[in-house]
Amino acid sequence: MECLRYGECGIRIIFGHTIDQDINNRVINFYRSLKSKCIAGVIDITPSFNTCLIEFDSTTIDFKSLIDIIKGIDFCAAYPKDLASKVIEIPVRYGNEYGPDMEFVSQWTGLSFEEIIRIHTSTVYTVYTIGFIPGFPYLGTLDKRLFVPRLKTPRTSVPAGSVGLAQLQTGIYPFESPGGWQIIGRTDMVLFDYKKPPYSILQNGDKVRFIPV
Amino acid sequence: MIEIINAAAQAIIVDSGRYGFSDIGVPHSSALDMFSYKAVNFLTGNEDGAPAIESFGPMFSMKFHEEMVFAVTGAWVDGVIDEIPFTSWRSIRAKRGSIMKIKRVYSGFRYYIGFSGKMDIDQVMGSYTTNLECCFGGLDGRPLKKGDLIRFSNITSIEDRFILKDAIPSMDPPHTLRIIDGPEIDYFTDDAIEKIFGKKDVSSYVVSTKSNRTGIRLEGNPVEFKEGVEKSIISEGILPGTIQIPGDGMPVIVLNERTLGGYARIASVAKVDQDMLAHLKPKDEVILKRIDIEEADTLWNTKQKLIKNLLKNE
Repeated sequence: MECLRYGECGIRIIFGHTIDQDINNRVINFYRSLKSKCIAGVIDITPSFNTCLIEFDSTTIDFKSLIDIIKGIDFCAAYPKDLASKVIEIPVRYGNEYGPDMEFVSQWTGLSFEEIIRIHTSTVYTVYTIGFIPGFPYLGTLDKRLFVPRLKTPRTSVPAGSVGLAQLQTGIYPFESPGGWQIIGRTDMVLFDYKKPPYSILQNGDKVRFIPV
Repeated sequence: MIEIINAAAQAIIVDSGRYGFSDIGVPHSSALDMFSYKAVNFLTGNEDGAPAIESFGPMFSMKFHEEMVFAVTGAWVDGVIDEIPFTSWRSIRAKRGSIMKIKRVYSGFRYYIGFSGKMDIDQVMGSYTTNLECCFGGLDGRPLKKGDLIRFSNITSIEDRFILKDAIPSMDPPHTLRIIDGPEIDYFTDDAIEKIFGKKDVSSYVVSTKSNRTGIRLEGNPVEFKEGVEKSIISEGILPGTIQIPGDGMPVIVLNERTLGGYARIASVAKVDQDMLAHLKPKDEVILKRIDIEEADTLWNTKQKLIKNLLKNE
């Protein structure tokens, strides 16, 4: 675990340099434990694939004091190593108007639509991180056979609920937004509801499986 | 109650930001010029954190359906209340039926409008601010429009207040932004770093017309990556003010609407200068000046103390 300063009010905690289940488990462990401590002056915590960003308010706590507190906490003991929780099932309509890039994915991978759906729905994914927009889960790790590049020119608008592929990740757009992932289907499930805690149906470290409907 | 007659180019409800939810991808979405935002609350007798209007462009116009005090801070504007000119950065009394108009913005870009009462809007996830992209917060998650009515409670009649001109930073271009090294500065050649920071630690860029509330794109010398280095990173948490370099080499300054980023971060705008990002308009010249983290810390701490003293409610 490496602690590096980022800007005046940020600390990056680095757990590794690749997208990897074990590294992400450590990130999530750290994040959950840190969040539960409610340290005064810590205003936001952003866990991701291999790092955790801590934003602090420098009028409440300074960089050095915060680093000392963080280093003094035994994060490994805080949570069991295996984060596996219940598997959240997400119903998806694949192809047709719901998956405009199905044809491209089929051509790129050499797989039929049925094979793509079978492979995409047979993995239990981990929510490695959530973000760029509220509630967008970066799910991994995708089966290598479904590896596709991002769109050369991102779409200006992707419908809410769209399920996409990008490299070894799959994800879901909770809101209509611009997007560069290859869209293969769509879910009716509401992923983000600002009116109801915990707001995001999926939380960091959750397990997810897609169900074809 | 107030009534929006013309919402200018864009007018939204903002506050000091939505914090504590970046782990589920929710950005701060706070007012971009925090000093001006805090000042407008001070001038109208509100607590820090109260909702205010952030707008840009001329033609903003509204009607007061009851007597109250208002103020405009941020960009300097030619404003009138019932056709009588008023001054930015001071409290102004409006009568029942008064019409306020902003005819021209002559220095800076975004301006803030505050009122001496408690705006009757609900918080979403602990904040009044608008998340425009995902349509929540503020007034029904959208920009204000003609005919919108905003109600108030606890309207107070406070004494005249103003901010001395000396305390208000210049918002005119060229904008000098002090910057500190970013996490991926090693991804770039020495030559590229010299180009962005300049030989004498300064360099100039121009604000692109493709800029918006999510990010400011700069145009100028493309910043070159070291040979063989990955042009992106595994997406991770980013902070407002971060300067990212996408594949085309043109710097993008991240504002308050993103929690994760996948581009290499060459630098960050020092917090002391982040308010200025609200006033970068297309075609404005931007000069980047490299400072070290210790200097950035000192400048930021000093600025915060000055603001606190200046806006003391006594």
